[in-house]
Amino acid sequence: MARPLTKKKENGSLYVRPPDIEAAIDQAVSEDLSTIVRRSVLCQRNTPGFVPLECLVFLIRDARRRGEEGAMNALMPRLLARCEAILKNKIPQDCVPSTEDLRAELLGEFSVLFAEDDDSDTNQLDFFECRFSSAFFTFRLPFIKRERKRIAPLIYTSGAEEPSDGQVDEEFHATMSKACRQPPSQIDDVFRGSLLRAINALPPDECKAVTLRYIYGFSEESTDPAEITAASLCGVTGRTIRNRLQRGIATLSKQFTKEGKGSTAHESQ
Amino acid sequence: MNHNKTSAMSTDLLYEFSLAKELPDADLLEDFVRRYPEHAGALTDFAIDIVLDAAQGEKEGAEENIGSSTSPAVSRAMSQFQNRRFAVQRERGDTAAEQPADAGVTEQLFADLDRGQFRSLADRLHSNTVFVGMLRDREIDPATMSPGFQRFVADEMKAPLSLVAAHFAADAQIQRGQFYKSEDKPRAMTKLGFEEAVRTSGLTEEQQHFLLSL
Repeated sequence: MARPLTKKKENGSLYVRPPDIEAAIDQAVSEDLSTIVRRSVLCQRNTPGFVPLECLVFLIRDARRRGEEGAMNALMPRLLARCEAILKNKIPQDCVPSTEDLRAELLGEFSVLFAEDDDSDTNQLDFFECRFSSAFFTFRLPFIKRERKRIAPLIYTSGAEEPSDGQVDEEFHATMSKACRQPPSQIDDVFRGSLLRAINALPPDECKAVTLRYIYGFSEESTDPAEITAASLCGVTGRTIRNRLQRGIATLSKQFTKEGKGSTAHESQ
Repeated sequence: MNHNKTSAMSTDLLYEFSLAKELPDADLLEDFVRRYPEHAGALTDFAIDIVLDAAQGEKEGAEENIGSSTSPAVSRAMSQFQNRRFAVQRERGDTAAEQPADAGVTEQLFADLDRGQFRSLADRLHSNTVFVGMLRDREIDPATMSPGFQRFVADEMKAPLSLVAAHFAADAQIQRGQFYKSEDKPRAMTKLGFEEAVRTSGLTEEQQHFLLSL
């Protein structure tokens, strides 16, 4: 049984590792270091011998507690290399101009968490032993936001309150609504993936309105002031939300209708 | 998302939100917004970022397996880790903390050895000059070396373990002051695994067994 985590939630309860992570840790601590190092290069969950990143974080912290510098120095490069693979996947080359610098900065700052680790309540590494992917996303997001803000501060012009004159394709609207309601297990669906990327590329206000309305499923507005809606979450009126939705969907509709026609023309050649 | 707004609130709250479910849904967002209305804007922006991130490529855990070589970014991160760790240990009053090595110092680790000292080191390491040359040129992936081997090298070279580890973790290099006949400038090669390096250095069976048992 691995050492319990010490980090507490806002309500005072302790974070706990999922049972499968506890099991992976139990297995790893029974093996010698060279075996773990050899297994730690495997990144794909379905590969036999795969070591979850949560487990790797535990092993490195455990080595620090035991004063095993050699184990730390052997496992840290493996963890960082796997993080680098994630960053290459999640921060593609065309995301920002200085992608490689950004990835290197993220890896460096992430390694500092381990250098400063003291098992106190302020350290964030307990999060990474619970669900690494979510914690690593939370960790890297401010860096990515900062970089995007730095390179494109004035890309979007405010649409203010003007209604869109874009015509919304009703058929596209229905298709989009259906795709957005698909459960996460179907996230690899090609259309849904393209759609989410297109939504992400909308101006921020429209992106926010479309995501809250169609992906999260909040209603546009409500006469009940206690109900949480897309309008209340954005701090605007229902009219403003509808305008933003109309503009956003019109943009998506044009884009996908155009792409659809393009691919049809290409296929017919 | 407004970064300043996020910084003003507890980062721990964002971690708690992201860890609550694999992907957040309306119920989760509503729950957090009701509990922390002062952070409703930041939580909403964060929830949007999470679901849209899912569209940026594959889910984590689907990457290609990593190779045995150490990339420049990982080497730099390791150096940052060792430097910060040393500083933290000193701040906490650990006077036994080993000074991490900077790039200039690691270059000196083998550079000061003359031919006789180089051979002597090879003997002390129960190896040969080919193998020690691979150590010097950082041709072996440090992640595949056992902690016992790294400690053994540090002891025999009378150097701090962190210095030796930093030397091995740095990028593979072509030694300066050498001349090459080929038309192309030689490049540092991909690092070998420790066992492969031991097996292919012309070492005796006994030497191989010794090094692999450390």
